[in-house]
Amino acid sequence: MDSIGLIRDFLKDRLGVEPENVISGALLADLGVDSLMMLELMFEFEDRFGIKLSSDLKTPRTVGEMVTLMDGLINSQKS
Amino acid sequence: MSQRRVAITGLGLVSPYGGDLTDFFTRLSAGESAVRYLLTEDQPRPLSIPFVSCPTFDPDAALGKPLASMMDRFAQLGMAAAFAAWDDCGLPRKAGGESRNDWGVAWGTALGGTLAYEKGYRELWQKGRERLSPLSVVLGMNNAANAHISIQLGLGGVSMSHTVACASSAIAIGEAFRRVRSGEATIMLTGGSDVPQAYGVARAWEALRVMAPGDAETSAHACRPFSADRRGLVLGEGGAALVLEDWEHAVARGARIHGEIVGYGTSCDHSHLVRPEAEGQIRALQLTLADAGMTPADIDYINAHGTATTEGDPVEIAALKTVFGDCADRLAVSATKSMHGHSLGAAAAIEAIVTVLALREQTVPPTAHLEQLDPGCAGVDHVTTARTGQLLRAALSNSFAFGGSNAVLAFRAVAQ
Repeated sequence: MDSIGLIRDFLKDRLGVEPENVISGALLADLGVDSLMMLELMFEFEDRFGIKLSSDLKTPRTVGEMVTLMDGLINSQKS
Repeated sequence: MSQRRVAITGLGLVSPYGGDLTDFFTRLSAGESAVRYLLTEDQPRPLSIPFVSCPTFDPDAALGKPLASMMDRFAQLGMAAAFAAWDDCGLPRKAGGESRNDWGVAWGTALGGTLAYEKGYRELWQKGRERLSPLSVVLGMNNAANAHISIQLGLGGVSMSHTVACASSAIAIGEAFRRVRSGEATIMLTGGSDVPQAYGVARAWEALRVMAPGDAETSAHACRPFSADRRGLVLGEGGAALVLEDWEHAVARGARIHGEIVGYGTSCDHSHLVRPEAEGQIRALQLTLADAGMTPADIDYINAHGTATTEGDPVEIAALKTVFGDCADRLAVSATKSMHGHSLGAAAAIEAIVTVLALREQTVPPTAHLEQLDPGCAGVDHVTTARTGQLLRAALSNSFAFGGSNAVLAFRAVAQ
């Protein structure tokens, strides 16, 4: 699964957010992702892709920033 | 400060029978047991015990998936019971014009989120994982239930949990009662919830040799308080909640008043961790009567702690006989744990509700499966089939915990 797919699945499962609302420009906070839910989302991401996120990572604000962050990490993991 | 009268305006629980509160009390009055045989798939040896579950409780349906996924089962049961009690009291879940900043929550739980932590141990030690979900802390913390309740109902006053083994929710209700009576709080949401099905917890209770045995055939009758052939207690899960409200506030808004809570007393045996002592229980009973401004002659029903252990039952009856003296013979007593089991931190809240309903409906629910009374438990009026037609003015609910902590609540009937 790609990053956006994971985010959509997670938000649908945990917060009942419809996938069509999970678009690049949407603010994560508007979708109901608070600091706790962000930690859980990061955890799920680390788990799924076998990646350890650095603790000084800048917290993404939008779905698009989250996707960019995740894709970058996945790619650097592969290379 | 003058003392306020305290009305009970909301009652709610997650019923092991699957129905509503009316159904719950009807079944208890009919002597119907909710105890079932539980066989798990746990390793290395499955649990095989009589148990009380709430099998039809669907947390996602009751709370919505986003909220349910932020909670361990003890908090889910607690939140669902709290919503039921709140809806029953007739107030909207979202605050309107009225400030709720002195409205609070006092919750009882013996185990809190033990199940969430046990899940974590399984992940780490059985599945070989190195990390746990960041939600584990907020799922497992003992004050999760009261915190969620405060958030969901917008209650800005005290939000606390009480962990006093089997008396947890009796003490929560008592402390809530005091806050409303003193005028500190206009409304307190109180009660308790617990889920003792954590593998380590159930096994630990088994090791104490206080749990009644049973299989698919016999489990329904496994818990027999005061009976000569009693074999011990039956654990169960549950959640139950009450809304305690300043009397004048309740009357002013035209709320239905199910009953009045009038007294609370608590004591410690200060002698032994698990062997109860009549002397400590007597002090709790006397403190409660004094707190309520009542005498033994004013009490028409006792919902006993009555867990059906060999040691506990006769001690409780001895305490009642001492306190009630000449009135003991005609004192109606029943132990409804024979049917709803012992749900630890939820037990006293369930029994408080049963006691309030007994007064409201003027019906004493029975001790089920009591065919041959243990002579050591004789001396009070044991109710073995539902009793109506006998005036019930006031009643007590006893909770006597491991650790020697005793708590007794007093309730008075209110004309309906």
